[in-house]
Amino acid sequence: MKDFPIKTLFIEKGADGYSFGAKIIERLGDIPVDRIEYDVDNRYQQLNNMDKESIRLLRFQGAFLKTCPGTKEYICCGYQILNVGTNCTMDCSYCILQAYFNQPSIRVFVNLEEQLTTIGQLIDSRPEKIFRIGTGEFTDSLALDHIVHWSDILIPFFLGRKNAVLELKTKSNQIEGLLSSPVRERIIVSWSLNSPYIVAKEEHGTVGLKKRLEAAKRCQSEGFILGFHFDPLIEHPDWKEGYMKTLEMMDEYINPKGIIWISMGCFRYMPGLKTIIRKRHPETHILDGEFISGLDGKMRYFKPIRIEMYAFMVEIIKKWYHDPGLYLCMESDEIWTKSMGWSPGNSEGLSHYLDKRVIEFFG
Amino acid sequence: MKMLRGKSILLDLKEIDDNPGPYCMSFHFDLKALVRSIEHCGLINDPFIILTEEGRAEVVIGYRRILALKALKMESIGCIDLSDSGLSHLDLLLLNLSENLATRQFNDLEKGMILSRLMIYISKEKVIEEYMPVLKLPSHVETLHFFLNLDGLDQQMKISIAEKVISLRAIKMLLDMEEKSRFSVFLLLAKLKLNFNKQIHFIEYIVDISHKEGIGIPDLLMEKSFQRILEEKPLNNPQKVKRVMNLLRARRYPSLVHYEDAFNRKISQLELPHGVRLCHSPFFESPDYMLEIKFKKGGELKEKLKILSRIEGLDNIGNPAQKDQ
Repeated sequence: MKDFPIKTLFIEKGADGYSFGAKIIERLGDIPVDRIEYDVDNRYQQLNNMDKESIRLLRFQGAFLKTCPGTKEYICCGYQILNVGTNCTMDCSYCILQAYFNQPSIRVFVNLEEQLTTIGQLIDSRPEKIFRIGTGEFTDSLALDHIVHWSDILIPFFLGRKNAVLELKTKSNQIEGLLSSPVRERIIVSWSLNSPYIVAKEEHGTVGLKKRLEAAKRCQSEGFILGFHFDPLIEHPDWKEGYMKTLEMMDEYINPKGIIWISMGCFRYMPGLKTIIRKRHPETHILDGEFISGLDGKMRYFKPIRIEMYAFMVEIIKKWYHDPGLYLCMESDEIWTKSMGWSPGNSEGLSHYLDKRVIEFFG
Repeated sequence: MKMLRGKSILLDLKEIDDNPGPYCMSFHFDLKALVRSIEHCGLINDPFIILTEEGRAEVVIGYRRILALKALKMESIGCIDLSDSGLSHLDLLLLNLSENLATRQFNDLEKGMILSRLMIYISKEKVIEEYMPVLKLPSHVETLHFFLNLDGLDQQMKISIAEKVISLRAIKMLLDMEEKSRFSVFLLLAKLKLNFNKQIHFIEYIVDISHKEGIGIPDLLMEKSFQRILEEKPLNNPQKVKRVMNLLRARRYPSLVHYEDAFNRKISQLELPHGVRLCHSPFFESPDYMLEIKFKKGGELKEKLKILSRIEGLDNIGNPAQKDQ
């Protein structure tokens, strides 16, 4: 993450009295604090930026742990999303969070600790099930860690829970909080990667590939298991050379034996996001591809293009390491078979495959 | 209930502005029916006016009636003068709104006019909360801004909206363009008389191609490939529309169109029996194909199934572009 731009702290009614929130306020130091009665009524405001320059502390009323909302048309990995906050300081042109303009600010849920008790009970009550849990769906897991210290709370929570792992997914190099913890057990640190072209042109406000991979290398050398995500794969001029370059960099920094999985997913978006992307990122070329309406209503690259992209990635990654735990995010049985050479058949099959990887790496 | 304090006066029609003034909410209407009605029955309800400091009359309610009377070459008219009624500008505006709401539907342009006039006197929040539902619009700032922007459009475009020749969704997309592009697309939409669905596809293709190829929209639309189709005399309008849409689609989705062509070629080579159709899934996304057989009697169905079972080319149908790619 580049310069930290937080300029205002909002504290919503009901968010006081939580030590987690109090510590964040303390860490933010001398910035303007605005105590607000209720959330912004979005009917009256046009939020053209997502107000990424403010943090909003609030008491989240919804479910903290949710199964990834996959669709029956495509094979889903059965991931569990731990909703610790929403929005992030970065501004990737393809980010789905842009569709949630009615939720400005980087939102941090101060009642996380009290909710973890319930989540712990759920995990412990189902010892036969492996909970693959991640916090990187609605926010970056680590970009704010030096201020929010999510890792202080979450890492100890997973210690000793033999049927769960926590994946911290990031595009940042904020790893100091992680490294200061003595715990390595049940934690996967993952980086979202792309071609150098896409990182430079489309992932605004993120750190470059080199810094991400340096951070990954440090985590690996300090005993963390790693994951990588090529999601979204985006067609662009010389995309093959671009993704090859990224893989060469991975080879330079990372020992592939310590990678639990590498996921891939071609760029896809809800139809409504297109207008928002065009407005917020008029220079972008991510919408240039041949997008068709998929079986789940999302716009996806025309099937032969997806197959070509995945097949290429599979080829180069497998040349690097034979067992990288490759999987596709939300793709059909046909695409799996044609690009990967095998298919888990359905979502249960993919869950089983990834659960096995967890057992192999963590026991 | 408030009682209006107005006085009846007889006014020379020449003293009444031809412009709709600040209270009227009418845009693009047909006077003929009203003229006929006044010819038959006379004027049933007197218009409401106020007199300005310069002595001119501004219409509060009844603008159309006054235009109809002018069309009938009448010289004077009975009016209710509200100059001393104590009503504010906002009151007069709301008076007009209430009267219109009770008697007719507003077109989208008129809704934009009403909102922009209300915004002069009332807070944005109150307009969104109280007046957008009255106009049957969702209470949302994005919608408010969209309708306010309609007022600033070119007159020809406004008329197309009022006449429902162009969809609001298409207008929304046009409003995202810079003015020159917007107008060049609009002219072509109007010329080709595209239906609402095709308008959206047309604009999407144009915008996407312009972004992808780095060509300005007006330049794109002036390309020979377009102009040739538009000027081709033997083609009627639906044929031109089809060709233009196909041209744009092939440019926007080259792989998909190539795949579809390959599929269609393959199907045509199969020599399927009469009344048999083989279809692919939308965009080939699902691997499933669909077979449609028309028949009148079971025997005919059996016969067609027999013929189908002998067509060797069907074995390769799962990969339509295999040989052609």
